[in-house]
Amino acid sequence: MTQASPGGPPPPGSISVAIGGRVRDTSWWRTPTARRYLFGYTLLAPAVLYVGLLVGVPFAFSLYLAMSDASVGSPVARFVGIENFKSALENAVFYTAVRNTLVFTIGAGILKGVLGTTLAFLLLQPFKGRKVVRALLVIPFTLPIAVSVLGWKWMFDSQFSVINWALSRLSLIGGYGSPDWPVWLGQPGLALFSVMFVNVWRGFPFSAIVLLAGLTSVPPEVLDAAKVDGASFMQRFRKVIVPMIAPILFIGSAFDTVFTLSDLSIVYLLTNGGPDGATEILPTLAYNTGIRGGALGRGAAISLFLFPLLLPAIVLLLRTLRRRQY
Amino acid sequence: MSERRPAETHPTTLSRRGFLTTAGGAVAGLTLADMLAARQAPAQIKGTNLRLLIWSHYVPAYDVWFDKFAKEWGDKNGVKVRVDHMPHLELPARYAAEFAAGAGHDLMYYAGQILTGQYYRNLVDVSDLAEGLGKKYGGWLDAAKSAAQVSGQWYAVPDFFISIPVLWRKDLFASVGMGEPKTWEDLRKAAGQLKAKGHPTGMQFSHCNDANHNWRALMYCYGVKETDPTGQNIMIDSKEMREALKFAKAMYDEGMTPEVFSWDDASDNRFLASGVASWIHDAISAFHSTRLTNPKVFEQTFVVPEVAGPGGTWNVGEPNVWAIWKFSKNVPAAKEFIQGLADSQKDAMQASLGYNMPFLRGQYTKPMPYLGNDAKLGKLQDQEKITAFLGFPGPMTPPAQEVVTTFIIPDMFTRVARGGPIEDTMKWGVGEIRRIYAKHKAS
Repeated sequence: MTQASPGGPPPPGSISVAIGGRVRDTSWWRTPTARRYLFGYTLLAPAVLYVGLLVGVPFAFSLYLAMSDASVGSPVARFVGIENFKSALENAVFYTAVRNTLVFTIGAGILKGVLGTTLAFLLLQPFKGRKVVRALLVIPFTLPIAVSVLGWKWMFDSQFSVINWALSRLSLIGGYGSPDWPVWLGQPGLALFSVMFVNVWRGFPFSAIVLLAGLTSVPPEVLDAAKVDGASFMQRFRKVIVPMIAPILFIGSAFDTVFTLSDLSIVYLLTNGGPDGATEILPTLAYNTGIRGGALGRGAAISLFLFPLLLPAIVLLLRTLRRRQY
Repeated sequence: MSERRPAETHPTTLSRRGFLTTAGGAVAGLTLADMLAARQAPAQIKGTNLRLLIWSHYVPAYDVWFDKFAKEWGDKNGVKVRVDHMPHLELPARYAAEFAAGAGHDLMYYAGQILTGQYYRNLVDVSDLAEGLGKKYGGWLDAAKSAAQVSGQWYAVPDFFISIPVLWRKDLFASVGMGEPKTWEDLRKAAGQLKAKGHPTGMQFSHCNDANHNWRALMYCYGVKETDPTGQNIMIDSKEMREALKFAKAMYDEGMTPEVFSWDDASDNRFLASGVASWIHDAISAFHSTRLTNPKVFEQTFVVPEVAGPGGTWNVGEPNVWAIWKFSKNVPAAKEFIQGLADSQKDAMQASLGYNMPFLRGQYTKPMPYLGNDAKLGKLQDQEKITAFLGFPGPMTPPAQEVVTTFIIPDMFTRVARGGPIEDTMKWGVGEIRRIYAKHKAS
């Protein structure tokens, strides 16, 4: 669709410089090639329109807000250039949020990758009740996030935590009130780990399902041939399986990175960024500044800092994917 | 303020919701008809619709009463009323969406987070209604203006505020030879001694509403002023603030455990009901929930409106106000509804089990509904004399609100409690607050 046939007419974009003037132009639109272009772009139009309306317009609107002094109650906003971005960079909490966002996204991504891969291989093995287990494993992903996170909030409760009570009964920690009683959402390191853990718990079944779909598409005879050639499990995984399922892996990773980086709900419901910014991430800071605090412009600017974090990761993934396709 | 919902601790034969629902229903049935008969709304609102958005009250029985009131008011005045309830933390996002769309509810409610200053350009001036209510009921409390006025004009009508007193255990205090606490020093001393006996205290150091209220109560009692009375100039960089931080650090070290860093709005309720807490600083819904979940603890739980500090006695309340969008399709009915509700304040307060503290001076005539009939809660009948709101002594301006929503004050206390130097903390906190105020001034 993107290449004109040799010796044929130029693509539509260059028609104004075509030799032959009006007669040539008019006749070109009636050629089969032109009709093919038209048909192709017509098919493409809904997708372009969809992306434009649902992604492009909100993104442009975010940019507009980020460069204005818009507030939730002010109908008229002034252009302030990059003031809101400068304001974010002057905010000490912003740097904490950037650091936490990176730790949260990378840490959760690695854990989900490891756990998802392990789970996918386990689920690939034949065993009794495999279908039921597969169905059960997607429950965390399908549960409404508010419900599952509130469940975790109870499990991390400082006084009634079932995790702590179990650890205490196993004599791994002391009783309630003792110095080694973990306060999951109160100690800075533990709090960040806890919110990351919930994200991993919720997301790793998705990683496993994506991998499982890829693994089932690898022809068994290829793996058998590798086995016959004496390849170990890790060699088969690295040299055969990963290259074959790479496109699925990259798309899955891209989705997961986007979802994790922009995940507001888990942190908002568990800690709201506290204590003292220990779990503050860019989405919570943007929400509390822009919506609850009313400073829409500054909130939008903070949220747009997600973009440079996300863009290189996605570009890298998609370029690698394209290289592998050719 | 806390998430005061049932099923938090021990089950009882009579559920909390059941108790509250029954109580509220009985009150509603007895008095609503008389109340509604007292006032006739103008004919122009007959046959119209009124959509209103309100929070989900911490006392479920109040919502039952309110919905019944709304229906009966609508029936009496020929207005079809639709009431939507929403958790208060979700309200700001909803209002932002309604404002952007230029459509939504005819009458809306700011609960806790007061957005009058942010939206006033798009709100109906309700000065006539507010001043009429003031004249009728003995005048508004000074604190009411903080939440409802901008430049002397009323853009919202105060409904009630939530008081956040000290709930303390008489038996535990007696065990260390102490009686009713009068000062913050008393609370600190009791917590220090009782922590050793397995009964620490706790105030939230986390990112939740209670953290914002409780530490401000301590600050104001220490004489800290967030801004000047105009709300334009920051006053927090003071000796008093340093003293408040120092005291909080000592109180944490002596009387609390690290769990306070993880607490949400409901954690202190559970802490009290579990029998562990020596005292907490929370709204009376914690008192009511303990009544249902742990009667033995409840028997020994008493209320002090607020304790004193070197700068006086100030309790930080949480206001709730009504406002009307300019794009509301039914302003007359919305105003009439507010008037009708204000006229039924006694029933509303009774239905809320004494939770809804009035903003109008005339409504503090003793005995007040519910509070006047409860031996322990009766002390709250003078609460209007010590109540201040966030931003004190300035009004709840947009920058004051942003300081609240970004939890700068609780974070300052957290840093110091964790051992951070007071001067470094002051430099950081005051710097953040200055940055917010400067941004609002520039825009």
